Amino acid sequence: MLSIFRIIKFSFQDIVRNIWLTIVTITILLLALFSINTLATLRLISDNAVQAVKEKVDISLYLKSDSSDNEIMLLKNKIASSSRVKNVVYISKQSAIESFRQKYENDPAVLAALKELGRNPLSPSLTIIPNNFDESNLLINELKTINSPLIESRDFSDNSIILNKINNITKRVNEVGLFVISIFILTSLLVVYNAIRVAIYTHRQEIEIMRLVGASNFFVYMPYVFSAIVYSLLSVLIMICVFYPFLTLLQPYLETFFMGYNINILAYFVDNFWFIFGGQFIVVLFINVVASLFAVRKYAKV
Amino acid sequence: MINLENVSKSYSNKIKVLKNINLSIKPGEFVSVVGQSGAGKTTLVRLLTGEERTDEGRVLIGDWDITKISRREVPYLRRQMGVIFQDFKLLPKKTLMENVSFALEVSGGSSEKIKKIVPSVLKIVGLEDKKNRYPNEVSGGEQQRTAIARALVHQPKILLADEPTGNLDAINANEIINLLLRINKFGTTVILVTHNKEIVNHLNKRVITMERGQIISDQEHGKYLL
Repeated sequence: MLSIFRIIKFSFQDIVRNIWLTIVTITILLLALFSINTLATLRLISDNAVQAVKEKVDISLYLKSDSSDNEIMLLKNKIASSSRVKNVVYISKQSAIESFRQKYENDPAVLAALKELGRNPLSPSLTIIPNNFDESNLLINELKTINSPLIESRDFSDNSIILNKINNITKRVNEVGLFVISIFILTSLLVVYNAIRVAIYTHRQEIEIMRLVGASNFFVYMPYVFSAIVYSLLSVLIMICVFYPFLTLLQPYLETFFMGYNINILAYFVDNFWFIFGGQFIVVLFINVVASLFAVRKYAKV
Repeated sequence: MINLENVSKSYSNKIKVLKNINLSIKPGEFVSVVGQSGAGKTTLVRLLTGEERTDEGRVLIGDWDITKISRREVPYLRRQMGVIFQDFKLLPKKTLMENVSFALEVSGGSSEKIKKIVPSVLKIVGLEDKKNRYPNEVSGGEQQRTAIARALVHQPKILLADEPTGNLDAINANEIINLLLRINKFGTTVILVTHNKEIVNHLNKRVITMERGQIISDQEHGKYLL
């Protein structure tokens, strides 16, 4: 008990009396953590963006103009019963033309052409929202097999091209994101490892003196291990204090950018607080302790 | 008390820095070890503190063969002897008193023992009024006296002094030598490694002269020969 008390005392003395070294070390840890958290936030935003795009994907099935509402409802229910379908929305001829007029309300030439036509040229349609974006192509194949005289067109080639493009882009975004975040984490960990080694390098003479006056391994190593715990704890605590206001400032901008989508980064970090910051503390602590043990060992061979 | 039997030591370049050294130092002796740079004096001290191991031969302190001790036992060996160095080796971020008490704290000395011994050794070396200063706030002589106080807290039977006056002016050097003589009078064996001819000649104590890793002279009341 006395030994532990003394180790804590030595460690705090060292932290306070080498205050600039402490500040520099914690700042480096903090910058590394901030980089990782910022990158994690960017990844979260990109995931949300990709999800938003995927949610926008739907498949339209155009029906013959003379189809009755009852027949269309039967077909709609049949399609909706598929496990790959999330929702089916019926757009009548009337809805389609209203939507069309709204879309081109500022284009008098289009509206004049429509008026000249004298009738509603649009077909009723069923807008099918897939349950899972990744199974959209399977859903298209399923739609192709439906045998119904109501269906005007079974050509989904445009949908397939768009789906493949989105799939490729999201896959590439994921791969690049993972690569960048891996490089960043690795770099940050190496920076942290080196910062601790440098901090202990400045203590090399003290470590030698400790050994020469008869300090046991416990007394040589443990103050630095304890300091590593304090550095890790302080850096993560400061990180939390800095990052939450940062997220609070960021959130309104994200809400404006992703209008109509439920994106709440702040809530994500609050809900996953222990996983994110507890995990970071454990990783930083592990790196710090390992770096401390290796660095002290180098200078304690006296 | 200290016996070196056929001790040889070489470093990685295979050049022997100690060649077949045989030496015996009795309890309470004051021995000066002299020699030019590279003669092997510091290696001799490093063997005694467990910093280096012999290639051949053995080093006995009392009945303890320190050539066979494990790394875990080294701290216990160092608590049995006091060591002072030319560059003082004080912890720069600790006060003089903390430097002295540190040696006891790391060996598990009780708080009561520390409170009792530390002020008394600081008094012996004449630093009780500067105990709260940091090493860079006192003179070289005072730093060396702090190192001596630190070496004394374990009440060692052996005090190794490796060039303790090397960084000091003549007045401070004399003060340190007088302090070592006083410590020797209390019964502590003092081994003084030095270059200082005047000090050795003035002491009129046993002088071991080393050259190229060998003892070339061992005189009971010797002089600096080189």
